[in-house]
Amino acid sequence: MSLLSQAFRPVGSNRVDPMLVALWLALVVLALVWITPFIFIVFTALKSSDAVMNTSAFALPTEPDFGNFVSAWQRGNFSTTAFNGVIITFIKVPLGLFISAMAAYALAKVPMRFSKVFLALCVFGTMLPFQVMLAPIFKQVNAFGLINTYPGIILPYLAFGVPYQVFILHGFFAAVPKELSEAARIDGASHFTIFRRIFLPVSLPVLSALLILDFVATWNEFAMALVILQDPKMWTLPLGLMNFQSQFQSNYGELNAAIIMTVLPAAIVYLMFQRYFVAGLTTGAVKE
Amino acid sequence: MSKASLSMRPALQGYVLLAPALLVYLLFAVYPMIDVIRMSFASWNGLSAESRFVGIDNYRAVLTQDPVFWGALWNTLWWTALAVVIPNLISFGLALALNQNVPGRSSLRVVFYLPVIIASIAVATIWKWMYDPFFGLFNSLLTSWGLSDWIVDWLGDRKIALWSVFAAHVWQSVGFSMVLFLAGLQSVSLTLIEAARIDGAGRWAVFRHVTLPALTPTITIVFVLSLINSLKAFDIVYGMTGGGPAQSTQMLAMWAYTQSMQLGDFGRGAAISVILLLITLAVVVPYMRWMFRNPEDAR
Repeated sequence: MSLLSQAFRPVGSNRVDPMLVALWLALVVLALVWITPFIFIVFTALKSSDAVMNTSAFALPTEPDFGNFVSAWQRGNFSTTAFNGVIITFIKVPLGLFISAMAAYALAKVPMRFSKVFLALCVFGTMLPFQVMLAPIFKQVNAFGLINTYPGIILPYLAFGVPYQVFILHGFFAAVPKELSEAARIDGASHFTIFRRIFLPVSLPVLSALLILDFVATWNEFAMALVILQDPKMWTLPLGLMNFQSQFQSNYGELNAAIIMTVLPAAIVYLMFQRYFVAGLTTGAVKE
Repeated sequence: MSKASLSMRPALQGYVLLAPALLVYLLFAVYPMIDVIRMSFASWNGLSAESRFVGIDNYRAVLTQDPVFWGALWNTLWWTALAVVIPNLISFGLALALNQNVPGRSSLRVVFYLPVIIASIAVATIWKWMYDPFFGLFNSLLTSWGLSDWIVDWLGDRKIALWSVFAAHVWQSVGFSMVLFLAGLQSVSLTLIEAARIDGAGRWAVFRHVTLPALTPTITIVFVLSLINSLKAFDIVYGMTGGGPAQSTQMLAMWAYTQSMQLGDFGRGAAISVILLLITLAVVVPYMRWMFRNPEDAR
């Protein structure tokens, strides 16, 4: 109760505010509504098809059945799609961050002509929706002969990820005091050394935030993958789930098991690194 | 570093650092955007080596002969107008409430944000299952509450399908703007609020004259971001209805994709893309000008 004894009191007041109590009740009710879909899919995933059709939607699964997960894993080719997802995400995310950090450092700390123009181009890119031009992206990747390959999906992912990350990191680097880099310059260090030895280490908190955010975004991406990865052997998890949904949609238990297996990695990463999400989103507040 | 890099002119070192990011961005983001304009004036099926210049034929076809285009445009604008207002109002309310001294704030925040990190295609699958006419959550609930008359085919009825998809979008997107608003609320000065209280300002007066003005930059950012996100709506519609029934939930971004990648008419698809890009630019360009004028607000 000691925790609660401080609650419901507005700033600078010692009395419980009935308004706040009402507000809190409303919040809890809404949170229950928000969490309902999750409960529903977990329940369904643990039921046999018979149980889905013959019991109420909110009946607890009386004899929880994990068989749905096993059969959905096989039927949905999860070993292939999860593997592809891991390869693409684990290459794209660190690589993208690294080249973004390099570019951001150059724009923030190296006196160059046109750096304003590049920065404007970059801000423009943060708002350029690729969903609007999937066909020309397909055409460009095809021109390089990279349809159905890992580089074929990683390159456009990089192209549309770089602007936001450069934008955020540029803001961060620009705020690093001049003295830090100038002392090293006078000692004869090149910009490459300063970037690697000074700026990369100091930006670790921002980099981690961007890393987590980008991991989830890349893991979840659907539209671009739909256009570039047409061979089922190259599919990622969202493509696999889409296919599962259209092929086995009346196999309710397995479908919901497939949803859970698709969603779980991102959900775990989020729950583990929550604070990085908020930091990554709010330092720049652009992008979804 | 090697001697070569030491002797390299500083500006040159800068360009070397900039090059990889710039190159990939120009090749795979900027070039396709320019290419789509060129494609929109040509006829190409996606396979043949040659494409033929056809002037404004694609635009004429899209605007006058395409029976789906206007519906898709209308749906996109409808969706955008609603998506800018409804989820953001909920987010704003949630942020204000969660900024108060109530127990369990951080857990509540997690609950509302969780749908944001889930793949849109999974959100679509979850909701499609909840809308299942026979065993889905909504119709089961209605039945158990004795409201069987209210049962509808949520995604199969063209009058309500778009609303049904939109509800899923609200569930997914509320947490995103909520986090931005919460961050914005951190910048509201507590001393100012207390000073206003001491001066006798009520709840509403404090909100109206202290909180709201401090949140103006955040509101602008949320407004623009949700506008852009709505114009590119794709995954959730694709996953839930594929544009159906009878094209009643078709959207411009998806229709551009369908024309090019499924019907093999890259010219028409490109024309639709260009129209959608122009609409997007009408939002982005003024926003960028605002941002460069008030750089501290945008951060």
